[in-house]
Amino acid sequence: MSRVIGELEELILLAVCILDGDGYGISVKKEVERHTDRSILLGAVHITLYRLQDKGLLESKLGGSSEKRGDRRKRLFRITKKGMEQLRASQEVRQKMWGLIPQLKPGS
Amino acid sequence: MNQKSFLRRLADTLIQRWVGHAYIEEFLGDLDEMYEDRLAVKGKFIAEGMYWVDTIHLIFGFPSTVKKQNQTMFIGNMIKISWRSALRHKQFTILNLLGLTLGIATCLAIGLYVYEETSYDTFHANGDRIYRINQPMIWGDWNEQMPMIGPGITEAIRTDIPDFEEVTRIMNVGEHLMQVTIDDQATHFNESKYYVAEDNFFKVFSFPFLKGDPNSALKEANSMVITAATAKRYFGDMDPMGKLIEAKSPTGTHTLFTITGVLADIPTRSHLQFDMLGSLSSLSEFKDNRWTWIFTVFGTYGMVREGTDVAALTDKLQVLPPKWAGQTTQGVFNQTFEQFTKGKPWTLYLQPLRDIYLAKSPGFNRFGPAGNPQFVMIFAAIGLLVLVLSSINFMNLSTARSSNRAKEVGVRKVLGSEKNTLVQQFIVESVLFVAVATVAALILVQLSLSAFNTVAEKHLTLLVHLTNPYFFGILAAFILIVGFAAGSYPALYLSAFKPAETLKGKLKAGFRGTGIRNGLVVFQFTVSIALIICTLFVQKQLTYTRTIDVGITKDHVLQVYNMHQLGEGADVLMARLQTNPVFTAVAKSGFLPPNVWTSDRYRAEGPDQPVVDIHYMRCDENYLPLLQAEFITGRNFDPANAADKYNIIINEEAARTLGYGSRETWGDRSPMGKFVVQSFGTEEKLQIIGVVKDFNFNSVRQKIGPLLVMHNDNDKHWSYGAGFASYLSMRLNPASVENGDELQRIIDGVKTEVAKIDPSVTFQYSFMDEEFDNTFREEKKMSAILNMFTILAIVIACLGLFGLAAFSADQRKKELGIRKLHGASTHRLVFLFSSEFTKLVALSIVIATPIAYLLTDYWLSNFAYRTPIDIWVFIAAGLTAMSIALFTVGFQSFSAANANPVEVLKNE
Repeated sequence: MSRVIGELEELILLAVCILDGDGYGISVKKEVERHTDRSILLGAVHITLYRLQDKGLLESKLGGSSEKRGDRRKRLFRITKKGMEQLRASQEVRQKMWGLIPQLKPGS
Repeated sequence: MNQKSFLRRLADTLIQRWVGHAYIEEFLGDLDEMYEDRLAVKGKFIAEGMYWVDTIHLIFGFPSTVKKQNQTMFIGNMIKISWRSALRHKQFTILNLLGLTLGIATCLAIGLYVYEETSYDTFHANGDRIYRINQPMIWGDWNEQMPMIGPGITEAIRTDIPDFEEVTRIMNVGEHLMQVTIDDQATHFNESKYYVAEDNFFKVFSFPFLKGDPNSALKEANSMVITAATAKRYFGDMDPMGKLIEAKSPTGTHTLFTITGVLADIPTRSHLQFDMLGSLSSLSEFKDNRWTWIFTVFGTYGMVREGTDVAALTDKLQVLPPKWAGQTTQGVFNQTFEQFTKGKPWTLYLQPLRDIYLAKSPGFNRFGPAGNPQFVMIFAAIGLLVLVLSSINFMNLSTARSSNRAKEVGVRKVLGSEKNTLVQQFIVESVLFVAVATVAALILVQLSLSAFNTVAEKHLTLLVHLTNPYFFGILAAFILIVGFAAGSYPALYLSAFKPAETLKGKLKAGFRGTGIRNGLVVFQFTVSIALIICTLFVQKQLTYTRTIDVGITKDHVLQVYNMHQLGEGADVLMARLQTNPVFTAVAKSGFLPPNVWTSDRYRAEGPDQPVVDIHYMRCDENYLPLLQAEFITGRNFDPANAADKYNIIINEEAARTLGYGSRETWGDRSPMGKFVVQSFGTEEKLQIIGVVKDFNFNSVRQKIGPLLVMHNDNDKHWSYGAGFASYLSMRLNPASVENGDELQRIIDGVKTEVAKIDPSVTFQYSFMDEEFDNTFREEKKMSAILNMFTILAIVIACLGLFGLAAFSADQRKKELGIRKLHGASTHRLVFLFSSEFTKLVALSIVIATPIAYLLTDYWLSNFAYRTPIDIWVFIAAGLTAMSIALFTVGFQSFSAANANPVEVLKNE
């Protein structure tokens, strides 16, 4: 896999994996915020989710609603096979590059 | 679920309109869910604000990534078209953006200023329960309020009124000389922001402590709390806790304080500004006077219990003065309560903490800055005006440009565009313009803020607001509102074109709507001209105040401060300076005009004489001659006459107030040799030995009041710690101060002399004329800012005019070409073309003149001495505006008139 995905894209892919079928706009946003300790806008999450879907890394279906949402359904995202491969690939790229650092001596 | 607010429903409508149907359901669901979450955690305002931020983000961000849908019009597409048309008409685009950016930047800068001014004292935890207790100006006009009250009121409240959780007092004890000894090395500091406060001060005010305990820091006598910056100044990096500071008062008493706490530096937006705060119990004069009602040096703040009805509490307070103040008036003035108040009510007011800084009354504050509500109003008005001006520009230019786009609209309509879509297109364009201009304005404001701060003497910052969601909510709302407002007229106007007519070229577009455009130009120039006139009058008044004859010669008087710190040495210094030929006179005094603020109660000797308030000044026999004050009758203090130190000199106004009448009507009732009785204490009698002509001993803002001049050495009169001979004044020989270098040498010479006697004395000096000028500091500041914004308003108006002229030149080039062919001369054409605009400016002058007159007249009524409202100022302003307008139009008219008719007409 040659294409490298962006950091936010990668974080959101990971969040969708963690949520395992329960990933929709807000839950993904919260998951990413929880792990990275930074706040992102809802719009950014939605845009990225759809971009990832366009790239074929995610798939989605409309799912359950709640009273809090004014009885509107949410779109639940799930990672595709291609998405999984992409994640692994970027993990590998990093691993490889870490391996190439001669020695890790912080501060020297 | 609750009914949605209007704002949220509006946001929903927008999102439904502009985001694909496929996504609506989940987006709205998400937005609602987030809203509920935020509502629970952060409150309604943030939740609503963020709802909007998210909505806008979705509307603008989403379509750019999602692939094309089968909708007729997309935001993305609209943006593309806007971009193209902006590029096609570069001149208009630049004019538009420039005008808008300037307008928004001005409004933003003023907005920051207004925000700063209106958000004082908002950081105290219990701020909404804190009230300052004010009373009538008992030493003068009882209709005015004063924020300083006697300590007795607090004692009375503690005895009688249980509704206050705490009442605390703070007292300004005047400038002190502080001495601190580190490694046997004594250092001295002159401290004017040193006050004393009661032990419960920090229960009321939550100034954060870095070290020490807020509850006990001021409990013990001789304890002191200092700010971090002060600690750094005194002790460097050492731990200041437990260190000693010796305070020396102007009267020579020494008090040794122990540092018991360090505060974070006081925020700028606090009406209480101090560097050091001693404990009130350290002061002996407080212990002896704690029940008195006339020792009016205490700022008193009460914190009411939660849920207190403040109006009812205020009513309750009114019982106190008649019940308690009588003891004081009887004891001190030998007057009953009614005699003292002359029947006026001694009202106690509760002023909410957050209103203090910007309150109209009382207008002064002895513990820090006092804002000027008038300035804030004026600037808020100017900010809005400039914004309206630039929005008008924008509208004007957009409508004018419509002619060029009439064909585009026609073609679009033929191809099936609905009117709605076209309206949307123009609104989006306009919102985009405003958005770009806003970003540019933010950058502009950030870049010019430090210059603005210097002029306005403020500490405004923009960057801190950039992380604030409120600020973004306001900005977003602002962009939308101005975008809609400015875009709506062209949008509706253009989209209403009939395609058949525009395409046939029937619609000589641009000639329609001329009335509205002209009206807008007239409005812009009216505002600009009115601003020019007001600015000129502010300038004129300031120049005038500088040239008013104040009755004394204020030029060439050098004044040295802190002379009381020299003790006996002051006389030695004076004797030395008197031998210096550079000085024609040297004198000691306890006050310096224009800052003679203290007054007391006096009456003429005899039965049934009225008690009046008279300002008093203490000085030696050399001071009045040094001021070149003119004696009407009688004589100056005579050093050879020992009795003179208990005699007094009064001014004409005092003679009138005391009941002797004016100079012409004295006759045999001349005040000479008469006695004035101090209407308090031991009722000392003072003999009048001279009367001087009235001179301004206060700012020329006021009329001259009654004044009594007492000798420095009068030891029978207690001046509440004020009025000691702490100043040495020198009249310079004008011949010896031809240039600044010489002046500096003289000042250095005096400094050396002072240091020879006592090197620990802080050398401070001023010039009397500058001090008089300084009383108009605020006005000068205002004038500088006003100048700045007037220029901006003119620039914006000119940008608009320039754009319209360019447009008109383009429209009329054929007409002008044909006229030229028929033999019209170039200057005739220039005249013809310019007159279209000069007529508008002339109309503006006619409208602006009366408005400016009323505004100026209102502003000048603040002053006792007013510059006349001269007609030439109006003429000058009119001519200026007219020539600026002509200059702006001129370039266009010449190029239009000079164009070769062949070039212009060949395309027909």
